[in-house]
Order: sequence, then structure tokens, then C-alpha cells
Amino acid sequence: MKGFPMNTSLVNTLLMLPALLLLAIVFAWPLLDSAWLSTQASSVLTGLAPTANGGANWQRLLGDARFWQDAAGTLRFAVVSVGLELVLGLAMALVLHRPGRGRGWLRALALLPWALPSTVLALGWRWIYNDPYGPLNSLLKLFGAPAYGFLTTPATTWLFTVLADVWKTTPFVALLLLAGLQSIPAELEESLVLEGASPSQILRRLTLPLLRPWISLALMFRLAQALGVFELVQVLTRGGPAGSTESLALYAYLNAMRFLDFGYSATLVVATFLLLLLLTAMGWLLLRRRPLEISR
Amino acid sequence: MRSLLLLWSLAPLAWQLYTSFVTPEALIQGAGMAAGSFWTLENYRQVWLADPPIWRYLLNSAVVGAATTALTLALAVPCAYGLQRQGGRLRWAVTLTLLATAIFPTVLLFLALLQLARSLGLANNLLALSLPYAALCLPLAVLLLRAAFADLPPELEDAARLEGLNLARRLQHVLLPLLAPSLASTAILVFLFSWNEYPIALTWISRPELQTLPPAIARIAGSSLFTVPYGAFAAATVLGSLPLLLIVLIFQRSIVSGLTQGAIKG
Repeated sequence: MKGFPMNTSLVNTLLMLPALLLLAIVFAWPLLDSAWLSTQASSVLTGLAPTANGGANWQRLLGDARFWQDAAGTLRFAVVSVGLELVLGLAMALVLHRPGRGRGWLRALALLPWALPSTVLALGWRWIYNDPYGPLNSLLKLFGAPAYGFLTTPATTWLFTVLADVWKTTPFVALLLLAGLQSIPAELEESLVLEGASPSQILRRLTLPLLRPWISLALMFRLAQALGVFELVQVLTRGGPAGSTESLALYAYLNAMRFLDFGYSATLVVATFLLLLLLTAMGWLLLRRRPLEISR
Repeated sequence: MRSLLLLWSLAPLAWQLYTSFVTPEALIQGAGMAAGSFWTLENYRQVWLADPPIWRYLLNSAVVGAATTALTLALAVPCAYGLQRQGGRLRWAVTLTLLATAIFPTVLLFLALLQLARSLGLANNLLALSLPYAALCLPLAVLLLRAAFADLPPELEDAARLEGLNLARRLQHVLLPLLAPSLASTAILVFLFSWNEYPIALTWISRPELQTLPPAIARIAGSSLFTVPYGAFAAATVLGSLPLLLIVLIFQRSIVSGLTQGAIKG
């Protein structure tokens, strides 16, 4: 076939079609199916066959204290983790951006926690937090302090799931922000230096305002991922102690795979999705409204 | 600053490495004791000879990773090319869809995907895992490759077209060779994702000998197979991390530039 195709738009659509079809099967269909299943009773009681039960699942959800506790806990985990990741990620990106010998190796090593499997790392953290033999408790012992149940104290265990998550995902945030830093022309910074601006002034006046799109991107991405936190808590704490670190995704998983209540599991999945939609929409509006400006 | 960063990133990993090579007694009594039987390979022997042995999971993960990478690239290359050439509303809609799916947490899909796998007879099929994996990797892969296509001078393809090369030949002989670096970094990111994916692998595969590494590790952690203090766990985590460690260290330039370049232009 010589020359231009008859209809470029049609060819483009055909080229994109296989990928879009697979996306529809793996993303759109499950959401629709879960939405439908959330209006059905499908558990051991019905022999796992779906039977319409009106809004019974949703009514149960509204009165389910465990759901509300998990929702609040997941939200708390997401907000605190992502907040810390943005601050530490920015610091890490600034260090990785500075020229110097071996910068490539530094970047690779800093990236390692992000590249390794979550389950593997969660298992590693379980050993680090181990009471009484883990290294953290060995340190405490060194200072004469009593051993601490990092994973067995209901009031504080969530903080240690946050720490493990922050450790693993900060490199990813740093990498995105590094991309932002690389897009800032060096001349801008040089001109501010010539004006006699201090490093912290450069950060506030130039770097942060220009990084905003990347910060927004990292924020949206990490917020969505953190609200779906699953393997970290499943392997590190199994939702414990006393359900204090159970995430919404873990609760949905348990309903399907342990309690064999697929209808209610689907309801939890859809509820989590709606929560996610609400939060990302809020985040997007919030970030969009404030215009980009370089304050002086 | 640099050493602080390295300490933060590497100390937990170094502790795993250390744990995997010492005896349980050494762990319990602390590193102070200098007995002759301090270091040991027993932990590695234990996971290597377990049933199923750890190399089985590594092999399974490698197979799924390779299949996923091939499938993702086969779908993402034409899609990225079409998206780059397309204008107007369709381009906008597809880009928005890709962004939305890129940030979507995988775990919310497991329930319906499990039903799909069961009804299609795909459960306990290692290669079938690459279907959902490819879908989950596609958004990022297409966005990265579209940015790479956008970088190529349009005159190049026009010239090839005037030479009478059709689309497949233009891609094969002209465009893709120039995209090799972007293809490589995309492939590495897809492989990393596939190696690390957990919820779908956990629910689709129930036979232990077919499991990929992440659910296998989680299963071992859930059983009382190896008890405290974690020597065998640590050996398993070290062996499971080693392939990725090598990939990251060998391809660090590709990974960093792939992600940062894609983000800048995407």
C-alpha cells in the first residue's frame, strides 16, 4: 500500500483497539460486575449462586462498624503515608538531583526499596519489628529500654505500617519529582543565585512552584495506591492487632476468600472505589483551583 | 546527605542479608558473641530444598514476567503509535483513560477477575496471568512509548513512506530500532511490575508449585514452616530480591531515564 491510508483516524483507532479492549475487560468489566454483584446475595447460604437481595448488602454496609473502622483506618494510613512520602520524596529528589560522582549508582540504590516485591519487604519488616529479637528491640535493649511490641500494640501498630510503606514508596515519589527537577532550566536557578537568594528561598520561590504538576501527579497516584493498601498489611500485621490495621481491601479480600460472601465483598470493593473517586476528585479540584505562580 | 539516604534505603535490606547468613542462636543472643558457628548457609539450604523449592517460584515468576513483557509490548507499541498520530477528541479521551487506569489500585479488581478466570478456566494457569498483568501495565507502557514516538522527527517516517514501506515495515525497520532505549526501559518496568504483583497471583493460582514469588513468600510467612527467628525467611527474601537487584543495578540508567523522560513528556 503506497501513499497515505484512506482514513488515518480509522487506522489509528484500529491500532489502539486491541489494547483498549484488554483495558475494558480488565478494568471496566470488573467494576460493572462488582456493582451488579453488590446487589446480590452470593454466599455459602445461597450456594454461591447470586440471588437478588435488593439493597441488603448496602444496608449492612452502613451499619457495619468494622467497615467504618476500616474506612477511617485506611484513610488515616493513606493521608499520613502520602504526606510523609511527599516531604521525604522531595528531600530525596533534591539529593539525587545534585551532581556528583556516582550519582547513577546512588539513584539505583535509592530506588531499590521501590523495585522489590511488597510481600518480601513486608516480611522483612516483620522481622525488624520482631518482639523481642528484632533489631529495633535490640537497639532499645542497648539503651536499657524494655522491649516494645511494635506489631502487637493496637494504639501504635498503624504507625509502623506507615513507616514500612513510606520506606518502600518514597523512592517512587522521589523519582517523579526528580523528573520535575530535571525539567527546570538551570539558568533560572543561576539567576536567583546571582540575585543573592539563599537555598531555602530558591526552594520556595522557584523549585516548589515549578514542581507543582509533578507533586500533584505523585499525590494522586500515591493516594489512590495507598487507599488500596493490601499486601503490606496482609503480610506485616494481617490486619491486627485487634483489627487496628485492617484496610478496606483486606476486609473485602477476607469476605470473598475466607467468609465466602462474594456479594458483600463486592459491596466493599465498590464502596472503596467510590471513596477513591471522591478523594481523587477532591484532590484534583483542590490542586486545579490554585493557579501556578512563581511568587517573589 | 548522601550517606543518610543510603543508610535509610539500604539498612533494612542489609539486615535481611545479615539475618540470612547467621545461625538462630546468633540472632537471639545478639552479634556480640564470636563463636565459631556464627555464620551459616543452613538457611539457604533449607529454602533451596523445601517443597516446592524456592527456585521453582523464581522460575514461575520469570516465566510470567517474560510472557507479560512480550504481550504488553505487542499491544502497547501499536496503541502508542496510533495515539501519537491521532488528534482531537479521541486522543484526549484515550489519554485520560490511560491516566485514570494508571493510578487505579489493582486490588479492587481481584474479585471480578477471579470470577472471570474461573468461568474461562484460566485459574491455575501460569501463562494466563499475563493477560491481566499486561492490561495493568498497558497504561504506563503506552504513555511512555507515546512520549518516545513523539520524540522522533516526523520527516523520518514520511521519507520511509515515500520509499513505499507499509506501516508494519516502517515500524520494524525505521521506528522501533530508534525506540530501542524506550522499549528497553518500558520492558524493564513491566517486568518489575509482573515480578511483584500479588493480589491477582494470590487468587488465580492455588497450586503451590505454580505460585509466583510474592504469594509464595506470603504463604510461607503465614504458615509456621519456619519459626522465629526468621533465618529461612531472610534467605527466601534475599533470593527473591536478587534477580531484581541485578536488574536495577544493571539497567539503572534505563529505569531512571525511562520513568523521568516519560513523565516529562507524557
